[in-house]
Amino acid sequence: MIDEQARLLSNREVAADFYLARLNAPHIAVRIEPGQFVNIQVGAGIAPLLRIPLSVSGVEREAGVIEVLYEEVGPKTRALSQFGPDAVLPTLGPLGKGFVLPPDDTHVVLVGGGIGVPPLLYWGLELRQQEHQTALLVGARTANKHLPNKLLTPAADAVRLATDDGSLGHAGLVTDLLQHELAEKGSCAVYCCGPHAMMQAVAAMCLEAQVPCQVSLEEYMACGIGICVGCAVELATAKGDTDYGRYARVCVDGPAFDARQIKWGNVWPT
Amino acid sequence: MADLSIDFASVQLRNPVLLASGTCNYGQELLPLTDFARLGGLVTKTITPQPRGGNPPQRIVETPAGMLNSIGLQNPGLEAFVEKQWPLLASLDAQVVVNIAGFAVEEFGQMAASLEALAGIAALEVNISCPNVEAGGDNFATRPQTAAAAIAAVRSRTQWPVIAKLTPNVTDIAEIARAVVDAGADAVSLINTLVGMAIDVERRRPVLGGVTGGLSGPAIKPVALAMVWKVAQAVAVPVMGIGGIATASDALEFMVAGASAVQVGTASFANPNAGVEIVEDLHAYCDEHGIDRIASLVGSLR
Repeated sequence: MIDEQARLLSNREVAADFYLARLNAPHIAVRIEPGQFVNIQVGAGIAPLLRIPLSVSGVEREAGVIEVLYEEVGPKTRALSQFGPDAVLPTLGPLGKGFVLPPDDTHVVLVGGGIGVPPLLYWGLELRQQEHQTALLVGARTANKHLPNKLLTPAADAVRLATDDGSLGHAGLVTDLLQHELAEKGSCAVYCCGPHAMMQAVAAMCLEAQVPCQVSLEEYMACGIGICVGCAVELATAKGDTDYGRYARVCVDGPAFDARQIKWGNVWPT
Repeated sequence: MADLSIDFASVQLRNPVLLASGTCNYGQELLPLTDFARLGGLVTKTITPQPRGGNPPQRIVETPAGMLNSIGLQNPGLEAFVEKQWPLLASLDAQVVVNIAGFAVEEFGQMAASLEALAGIAALEVNISCPNVEAGGDNFATRPQTAAAAIAAVRSRTQWPVIAKLTPNVTDIAEIARAVVDAGADAVSLINTLVGMAIDVERRRPVLGGVTGGLSGPAIKPVALAMVWKVAQAVAVPVMGIGGIATASDALEFMVAGASAVQVGTASFANPNAGVEIVEDLHAYCDEHGIDRIASLVGSLR
C-alpha cells in the first residue's frame, strides 16, 4: 500500500456522466488486483475534504497505468472530472480485498448495474486470460447510461445488456438476464457489483440456484484503510463471538465479499 | 533544528503532535503509511468495558469543510484490547495514550483499574462524551458534577496521568474544565465533535443510521480554537488542542492560544501522513522564525 503521486494521462466522458480516467501510478499498477480499489484525493484538504474511493477497471502493468471509471454524481466526482492531463492526484492503493478465483473450468457470470460495472471489467479480463468462459450482464436505466461496447467486450466472451426503459437490449432488469443464464448454464460462479437492491436480488437468486456469488460492496468511506471504521456492513454471521464482530469494514474486509456473508434486507434502505 | 519536545503533564513528548482518538484505530493500519517515531504519539480509539458492535450504517457523510460520523464507539472491549491490540501499540516508538469510556461512574473506575498494570501507557484520555445509563442517558460531559464524577473514579484507580476529553456541546466549557481539574484531571483535551445532522431530502430521512453524528474537520477549527483559548485561561493544567487541525499553521494557532500539544484527527482520513507532515512544517516554522523551543510558543497570544 502506498500513497502515490499519480499523474492523470486522460480523463474523458465515455457515456452520459460516466468518465474514464487513466492514471500513471506504477507502484499501484504492478500490485493491484481485480476488485481492489484506490482512494484518490481531488481537493486540497478543505472541500472536497475526503478522497474518492474507486475500483480499478483496468491495468497496464508494464506501462504503469491504472484506469478508473466513475459517474459524476456529487462534488468529489465533479472535481475529478474537471482535471486534465498532467494533473497530479495523490492516490492511495491498492486497497481492500479483491475477488477470489472460481474453481478451474467454471463458467463465470459477471453481473453489473450502473456504475458498478468497472471492477467487473478488470476481473473479466483476468478471468479470460485464465481460460474461463465469461458472460457479462449489464443493467442500466437507459441506453446512454451504458458504457460503450468497446469497454465491455474485452471483459467477456458474451455481453448482454438490459435497460429499465427498453431503449437498449433487454427491456427490464439485469436479473432477468441472470435468471436466463442460470437456467441455461446450470453450474457457474457469479460476481456482482451494482446498486444495493440489485446485489441483494442477485445474491438471493444465486443462493436459490446454489451457485457461488461474490459481491463488491460500496459504502460511504472516509479513509479507505480501516482507521475510521465508517464503511460498516452488517454480517449475516458475526465474526467471533462478540458484538464487535457484527459489522465488517468494507474497505479492508472487502469490498469483495461472499454474498452469503452479508446480512441483506434490513441493512439497505430502499 | 528547533527543540519540539513538550512536557505534557509529565508525559515527555518528542513533539506536540498526536493522532486523535478514533482516527488511527489501534495503530496497525497506518504502519505502512506513516512513521509513528516521528509523531509525538497517538491516542487509541475509545475502549469500553464490553465489546461494542457500533451503529448501523450509514456512518459517515462529508459536509462543507468537514464530516459527520456516527460510528457508535465500535471497539473490541477492554479484554480483547489488552490481548490483541496492546502488544503492537506497546512496540511502537511513540507515546500511546489509551482512550477509555464507560456508561456508569463505576465503569470508568474499573477501566482505569484494569489498565493500571499495563506497562508502557503514556496516559489515559477519558472520553466522558457518552451516555450515563444511571442518569437517564444524560451525557457525562455536559454537566460539571457528572463529568467530575467520571474523572474522580478514574483518578482514584490509576497512577497514569489522566486527560479529560471535553465536549463542545455545552454552555460553558470552562466550567466543565474546572470541574474535571478539581476532580483530579492532570490535563484536558478539547474539543470532541460537535453534534450535527444531515438529511436526504429525496427520501426525507436522516443520512446517518444514528440520525445525528459528530462534526469534525476544518469546519470546526474556529470553534475549537476559541474554546481552547477560553479553557487555557480557566485551568492551570496543560491543554491538548483538538478540532480541525490539518496544517502546521492550524497547530500553531492552538499552541499560541494555550495548547501545549495538539491532536490531528480527520485530516488523517484524507492524508494518512498528515501528522508527520505537520511535524515537519513545525520544524520549518521554528527555523524560519528563530524559535529554539516550541514550548515557548504555548499561550504566547499577544
